[in-house]
Amino acid sequence: MNHPAIDMSGVGKTYRFFSLENIELKLPRGEIMGLIGPNGAGKSTTIRILLGLVHQDHGDVRVLGHPMPAGQVAAKWDIGFASEDMRLYESQTLGWHMQWMQSIYRNWDSGYAQRLLQRFGLRAEQRLKGISHGQRVKSTLLLVLARKPKLLVLDEPTTGLDPVARHEILRELTDVMRDEGRSVLFSSHNTQDVEQISDRITFIDRGRIIDSMDKEMFLDRWRRLRLEAPFGVTLPALPGVIGVRQEGRMAIATTNAFNPGLPHAYEQTGARVQRIENMTLEEIFVANVERSREEVEV
Amino acid sequence: MNRSLIGELVLKDWRLYRPMILSCIVAGVGALALSQWGNEPTLVVGAVGFFIAIIMAGTMLPLAGIMTERKNKHLAFLMSLPITFLEYTTAKLISTLLIFLVPWLTLVILAISVIEFRNFVPHGVIPMTLILSGLPFVGMCIMIAAALVGESEGWAIAANVFCQSSYGLTWYFLDRIPVLHNNASKPKPVWDPLTLNILGGELVLILVILALTYFLQSRKRDFVF
Amino acid sequence: MSGAFAISQSDKRPMYFQIMDQIKQRIAVRDWAEGQPIPSIRQLAADLQVSVITVKRAYLELEREGVIVTHQGKGSHVASTPGLAVRLREQELRQHLEQATRLALQLGIEPRQLEERLREAGDRIAEKETI
Repeated sequence: MNHPAIDMSGVGKTYRFFSLENIELKLPRGEIMGLIGPNGAGKSTTIRILLGLVHQDHGDVRVLGHPMPAGQVAAKWDIGFASEDMRLYESQTLGWHMQWMQSIYRNWDSGYAQRLLQRFGLRAEQRLKGISHGQRVKSTLLLVLARKPKLLVLDEPTTGLDPVARHEILRELTDVMRDEGRSVLFSSHNTQDVEQISDRITFIDRGRIIDSMDKEMFLDRWRRLRLEAPFGVTLPALPGVIGVRQEGRMAIATTNAFNPGLPHAYEQTGARVQRIENMTLEEIFVANVERSREEVEV
Repeated sequence: MNRSLIGELVLKDWRLYRPMILSCIVAGVGALALSQWGNEPTLVVGAVGFFIAIIMAGTMLPLAGIMTERKNKHLAFLMSLPITFLEYTTAKLISTLLIFLVPWLTLVILAISVIEFRNFVPHGVIPMTLILSGLPFVGMCIMIAAALVGESEGWAIAANVFCQSSYGLTWYFLDRIPVLHNNASKPKPVWDPLTLNILGGELVLILVILALTYFLQSRKRDFVF
Repeated sequence: MSGAFAISQSDKRPMYFQIMDQIKQRIAVRDWAEGQPIPSIRQLAADLQVSVITVKRAYLELEREGVIVTHQGKGSHVASTPGLAVRLREQELRQHLEQATRLALQLGIEPRQLEERLREAGDRIAEKETI
């Protein structure tokens, strides 16, 4: 069973005011992928195509080896999906939902479900009407986690949660990775979470994938160089540098293709390299989106 | 077809809407009881109440079971289950129909029995009772169609308004048909061709609307939440 | 085993680097003995709540530096090189000294003058210990 958990190639979908184009996305088994992008970028559409809920206009989608949307039923037996806009039946209790899921899915692990109830601070007898946002998200995730599905697809699992709840969920998600046969795809605005637990990061903006790769490799490519320019010189954007901001003699060069020769190259122009800094995923996110939008305009 | 999962969904709907159905049955039984009170006003109120109970069941079920389910964002959860969109549609059609049949059959059979054994009205009203009871059934199918195919609250409400306003008018016109009007006062039920045609027509309408709904749903490619 | 690890978001250094650092510290203080088995990559990643690939990278770099050894399919262990703990402490000392020297140069102090500062620091520490 060596097929990737998710394999999308050449996928496109056109709506009236928005289109997804040429989506290439591969998630090998046993890995976590973080999907990030601004609002309206196409994260939710991509996820729905993955689940067979939206039929792509062209391109191939394979999830756990099943072609989508044709194989969606077989695939969904092994996929756990939770999204931010999903609601459970408020007139019922969490326990009602747990029993229902248990009767449908053979993989339901009741021991794990009980532990999750404890860890998340939830009670099975709790009626779901009027519960807090955090409890609702945790309830939905519990139903999906306790099934131990081979693939977890989560749309904004930590959005709007307090730090404790976020920590609880990250703990469960990284726990999933103890099993090398299980995979996770999650979309998030929280770049800290994505940076912390993702093996792979995919950036999506305006219906296009602008980057998709190994997280460590990705973080390694981006640097911020703090430079001191010689008097009266405007520093150029050397190859690999996507932008230089200069005020007076102080300049900041942002690169997404860092190599050890770059600081040296700047020193050749007469600049002094004060500091070379790693960038957080959030900073990269903003710079990356800006860069890609400029490229499209050109 | 994923029979076990469709069955699960139908069972789920039964568990969710059982209280609603129960209250319709209670209301209908109460109305029938009221009609037996002895004088004419209570007879009329009871009869009208009886039909309202059936209309209630036929309205609330598609509204709560289909439209509210969409509005309350349960669809994302349901579609994450191992079913296709068409299987969801099938489950909804089956569950709404079956769950409606419970109060409908109960109340209609009860009403006919009451008419048969209590002799407070000529038995000739039985065919008309059946015809009038069939109208909310047709109405419910229209609502199911609007809620499933239309996918929006607007369509469901429009269908609801259409149906509610049609009942009164239809009753009025049916009552004006001489054959039917006269048969209603006969001591024994008269199953004349017109009556049978109307009943048959209701059945055909029900089947056609449901089939059309299924067909239109099968043509959809995207599941819009 | 992976109890007191702490990966800090506010630490400017990359996560994999912090992990490497903390593993080396454990070996240096002999919490982890030479030749001792260490958590598998997946285990440590889940325990620390970080991505597998980050731990993988840390282990790879540590292996490159001869600090740990990974056998495909059998897990990883601290390298059995005798004197590893001492060597790591020496490395740490060297890094500190280089840092001190760089700082001194920035202050305009020559390395030879640094020797005197070092002796003074030794005296101060000795004083504190006798108190």
